[in-house]
Amino acid sequence: MSAALEVSGLVKRFGGLVATNDLSFSLQEGESLGLIGPNGAGKTTVLSQIMGELRQDSGTIELFGQEISALSTSRRIQAGVSRTYQIPRPFGDMNVAENIRVGLMPDDIWKLIVSPPDAERERELALSVGLAESDLLRTPSELAMGDLRKLEMARTMATAPRVMLLDEVFAGLTAGEVAQISELIQSMRKDGMTFLIVSHDLPALEPLIDRAIAIERGIMIAEGAFSEVMNDKSVQASYLGSV
Amino acid sequence: MLQILIQGLLLSGLYALIAMGFMLIFSIGRVLNLAYGAYLMVGGYTYFWVSQSLGMPKLAGVVVAAAVGVLMGVLKYSLIVRTLRRDHVAVEIATLMLAVVAQAGIVLVFGDSSKVLLPIVPGVLNVAGASVTCNILVAMIISWAILLGLYVCVRQTHTGRAMQAVSMDAKGAAISGIDPDRINLITWGISGALGAIGGVFFASYTQLSPSMWVAPLIISIAVVIVGGIGSIIGTLVVAHIVGFLEVIVVAELAPELRGVFTMLLIICVLASRPQGLFGREELH
Amino acid sequence: MELRWFHVVLWGGLIAGMFLLPQVVSNGTLRTLIFANYLAVFAISWDVLSGRTGYVSFGHPFLIGIGAYTTAILTKRFDVPVEVSIPLAVLFTMVAGLLVLLPALRIRGSYFALVTLAFMELLYQLVQVIRPDLTGGTRGMSGIQTLTRGAANGYYLSTALMLCIALSMWLLMKTRLGTALAAVGMNEESVRGSGLSTTRLKAFAFLTSAFIAGLGGAFYVHYLGSLAPRAMFDINFLFTIIVSALLGGTSTIVGPMIGAFFMTCLLEYLRPVLPGAERYFVYGAIALILYMYQPKGLVKLVQLTSKA
Repeated sequence: MSAALEVSGLVKRFGGLVATNDLSFSLQEGESLGLIGPNGAGKTTVLSQIMGELRQDSGTIELFGQEISALSTSRRIQAGVSRTYQIPRPFGDMNVAENIRVGLMPDDIWKLIVSPPDAERERELALSVGLAESDLLRTPSELAMGDLRKLEMARTMATAPRVMLLDEVFAGLTAGEVAQISELIQSMRKDGMTFLIVSHDLPALEPLIDRAIAIERGIMIAEGAFSEVMNDKSVQASYLGSV
Repeated sequence: MLQILIQGLLLSGLYALIAMGFMLIFSIGRVLNLAYGAYLMVGGYTYFWVSQSLGMPKLAGVVVAAAVGVLMGVLKYSLIVRTLRRDHVAVEIATLMLAVVAQAGIVLVFGDSSKVLLPIVPGVLNVAGASVTCNILVAMIISWAILLGLYVCVRQTHTGRAMQAVSMDAKGAAISGIDPDRINLITWGISGALGAIGGVFFASYTQLSPSMWVAPLIISIAVVIVGGIGSIIGTLVVAHIVGFLEVIVVAELAPELRGVFTMLLIICVLASRPQGLFGREELH
Repeated sequence: MELRWFHVVLWGGLIAGMFLLPQVVSNGTLRTLIFANYLAVFAISWDVLSGRTGYVSFGHPFLIGIGAYTTAILTKRFDVPVEVSIPLAVLFTMVAGLLVLLPALRIRGSYFALVTLAFMELLYQLVQVIRPDLTGGTRGMSGIQTLTRGAANGYYLSTALMLCIALSMWLLMKTRLGTALAAVGMNEESVRGSGLSTTRLKAFAFLTSAFIAGLGGAFYVHYLGSLAPRAMFDINFLFTIIVSALLGGTSTIVGPMIGAFFMTCLLEYLRPVLPGAERYFVYGAIALILYMYQPKGLVKLVQLTSKA
């Protein structure tokens, strides 16, 4: 059986800077993997390469056994991988329901014209991430940071991913909001979703993942259970060094 | 051949002068000032009014034109650009509207028909069999002088370095104690003056008409876009490419086609290399 | 917005009123309104592309001109019947729309606007020198076959055309496709991140916009009966189109319509006060102030006042 996501030998250079240096890891279906590392370690760059927003210089990315490196971002999403962003990027002049509607759209002009939006599904998704019924008609500017992240989760889930990449899901949230999002991730894990989660909030991250990898300057420095990774000498050094 | 070389050099110098003011604004604020052509038009007409209608000395005409240019630039920045700052496309649309208003204003004051400017410096020189009008020659010399002065200013003076800093990173500059607003205001003023002076020479090269602002605007766009934003050297080089292209096309193909290659250049460069041939984003 | 019964009544009344108008007003007024109709078509075309997807086109006369020139040349020089030449003109314009799409795959914002401006100027210059025996060169063409005789018929035809286009665009933009195009205008990355091919969406917007521009341009030239490059590829013409869409309100269908009629009537009412080109001074100033004050247009202004 092939892995849900298999990254091997990924290299990305920006001029003289090596952002990702021969990085390899894999995710089994239903597994949740934490990706940690100090600021500037290249975590977000890894997500961008998996999504095709950046093209790697070398290496392969396989999704359920299919090599996806040559695909456009939208094709990769159709293949079953989707991500959230550190800074949520909603459609500013649309309400919550319409934002989710875009996520639900099929990539087919004709279908977009003839088939009407599925208001029930939009509502379901909004409620499932913990948004209130009354939020559906609000615009993103009226939402708190926590609700924006929930909206981003809902829009990402609307694309029906089998693997979700979450970038700094807890950044800028209150303790209550962190608990809500954690609960949401936990329930999705029970339903069999595969996760790759990037976070600085290590205490919040720990219960959400089965395994962790740590990277520094694009190089993997540790891999294993969360406690093992955190006890690793080089990981501690890299975090101390970055302070 | 020699004729083409000389004409090319002269025209290119004029184009470099025209494009410089446009480039400054673009590199400082990333704003495309589509009303830039209006500086040239208003500058040209002001000079015409002062020196030919009022009969004052020519130098006074140039100075008044430059002053009006500064005023226009400063007003435009404070009334329009500052208000719409968040949205570059909105600024472009607003400046396009302003250009149309300015054109109508000129028609209102000076009438619809085109006017011929007397050459600022009369006379024709004969250089190795090629005739050179002194007027354009002076325009080229002044253009080179201004370009050199600008180059030195940007690199050496405090304000020039502040302009460089703002063009690289307005927020960073603000943190280092530079007031980006003041620098913007100064730059818009300088740009207005350059445009107005360029307009005086451009008008004496062609003629004064209420629709004269379009051609130099397109040339400025071409030079700045193709040269790469913020590059004084790039602006100079591309002004010569555009100028020589035009002179060669007029001499060898057909005068009507003079602008065609300029357009093609804009389209091809933007579509293939959006950062321009000498692409750097900041002033240098 | 929900469609209520009184909306239907209101629109029905308005449309009936528009078709009854020739009974009461003079031919001069009708000619003004014909121009307003065509301007509305061009403004809707501009808005489908620029208002929705945010790819601001400064070269819309490029597309309109291709439609107009194609059908004018076909009918006048090759005696092609209009039933064939107009569809061909629309087809040609759509091909030209794809040409404008190419740079839009790489650049947006200011750069894209400039490329379209360059396209317009390029065509302006080419039309005058390449095969002037076909295009009529600098002087343009006259004696082009007209579709209708008299102001009233011209008015009926242009009104019908404008309403058809407005209605079909309104229906189209109410679908999820309309939402998707607007999403491209707000955040292209997020649209890609929702699994949609933005290239395909953009291509659709460009083709639709070109379709309307070509259709409008072709009918317009068959109404005028003449065609001059300076009047067609003119920054003032471009300005009028953009300002109509902006003043009325972008990303709506009524917006460009209202804007077109407002602008045309404004120009017309200024005529007794300011004859000649000076009207553009007042006209431009009003447009500029309105735009600075309310960039979302008159429709938004009405919504805000009715809410308050």
